[in-house]
Amino acid sequence: MRLNFAGAGAGQGCVAFPTSPPSRVGGTTRWTLAEAQAGSEIDRAREVAEERALVEAAAAGSTAAFEKLYRRHVARVHGLCLRMTAQRETAEDCVQETFVQAWRNLPRFEVRSGFATWLHRIAVNAVLAQKRRRFESLGVDGSVDDVIAETLADANVSDPGARRDIEAAIASLPRGARHVLVLCGVYGYSHDETSAMLGIAVGTCKAQLHRARQLLGARLESAEEDR
Amino acid sequence: MTQTNDTGQDERLDRALQSLPRGVEPTRDLWPRIEARLERTAAEAPAQAPRRAWAWQAAAAVLLVAGTALLTATLVQRSRDASLAQSPPPAAVPGVRAMPAVFGPAHAPNPEYDAARQQLSAMLQQKMAQMPLSARQKLEANLAEMQRAAAEINAALDQQPGDPLLEELLLNTYHDELAMLAVVNQLTSTSDAGTPADATRMQL
Repeated sequence: MRLNFAGAGAGQGCVAFPTSPPSRVGGTTRWTLAEAQAGSEIDRAREVAEERALVEAAAAGSTAAFEKLYRRHVARVHGLCLRMTAQRETAEDCVQETFVQAWRNLPRFEVRSGFATWLHRIAVNAVLAQKRRRFESLGVDGSVDDVIAETLADANVSDPGARRDIEAAIASLPRGARHVLVLCGVYGYSHDETSAMLGIAVGTCKAQLHRARQLLGARLESAEEDR
Repeated sequence: MTQTNDTGQDERLDRALQSLPRGVEPTRDLWPRIEARLERTAAEAPAQAPRRAWAWQAAAAVLLVAGTALLTATLVQRSRDASLAQSPPPAAVPGVRAMPAVFGPAHAPNPEYDAARQQLSAMLQQKMAQMPLSARQKLEANLAEMQRAAAEINAALDQQPGDPLLEELLLNTYHDELAMLAVVNQLTSTSDAGTPADATRMQL
């Protein structure tokens, strides 16, 4: 099997594979699958190394390096906070708190563990701390829908209406069920990881996920009927 | 049939959830406000965590010193009693562990602290060698238990940095350690038992 990326040669702004030059067959540039895989692995390794260097520089006090880390991770951290809080303002506060806490705790970060996962744990703590401070005084914020809609429009995804329905249904879930669904269902954390992050028992986590899925299914069905 | 439908619905739901974009850009750039907060704590920003870790180490060092002093006072009393009874103290105590004061691998202990800790640990070990076997075993088991607890909390702190509950638990563990030394003191002190135990209670 061969992958055929017509015109995907070096110098055209595409991923540069540091392997042997591609062969030209009938005016078409071809990469073998093995080359493509090796290339993506090398890119990934390079990315990891770059991030490690940024983390080390930031831990040594470089705010420029930390800003680069922020730019790399802010969207995912914000997505997590927004979905967990269902409040735009609160989510932004949590994002700020996450990065401030990350900066303060960087010297304690073990480079071999994943920086994104570490940030997510801090973000979950920030969300839970916000929840305690605000004592759930605020309900679901309609502006979440707008933020998600903008993202979906920017990402040019297929069927944005259906995805918007899902986001709205997630935002309307009860807090506990929403937290578990976001971490397990959207961000792919295991029950063990999710329960550790939220400080709940694994059994509770499973029960909450089951409840969340049932509620979500029912709400999506009703949204579908309305459309 | 219902089960098949449920499974199909579950799969659709899973696919729908997985198709959501993980990243959602904030509507405005949050960096300037974050940077301002970093600058406010500017001098401390990169150094804060090490200082914080150092603060923990210093706190534990104080506990270590207090505990060692307490045991020393107790054991001086005991050795006075022992000499009266003309019983020679044991020469060595293999396996006896000193105070925990462990901060986990991620905390990168300060070398000066490490040296001080080792010195104080050696002192404590020496004093423990003079204790009766049963008391020593009890102390050893309790120290090991606290060491294990502190290591677990430190490991959890590495995963959940800045978690106030875990930090409190860690501090409590070190407090428990000192409390245990007070108990040791009460167990081993004889005639003027009141003085060291009271001093410890005041420190707690």
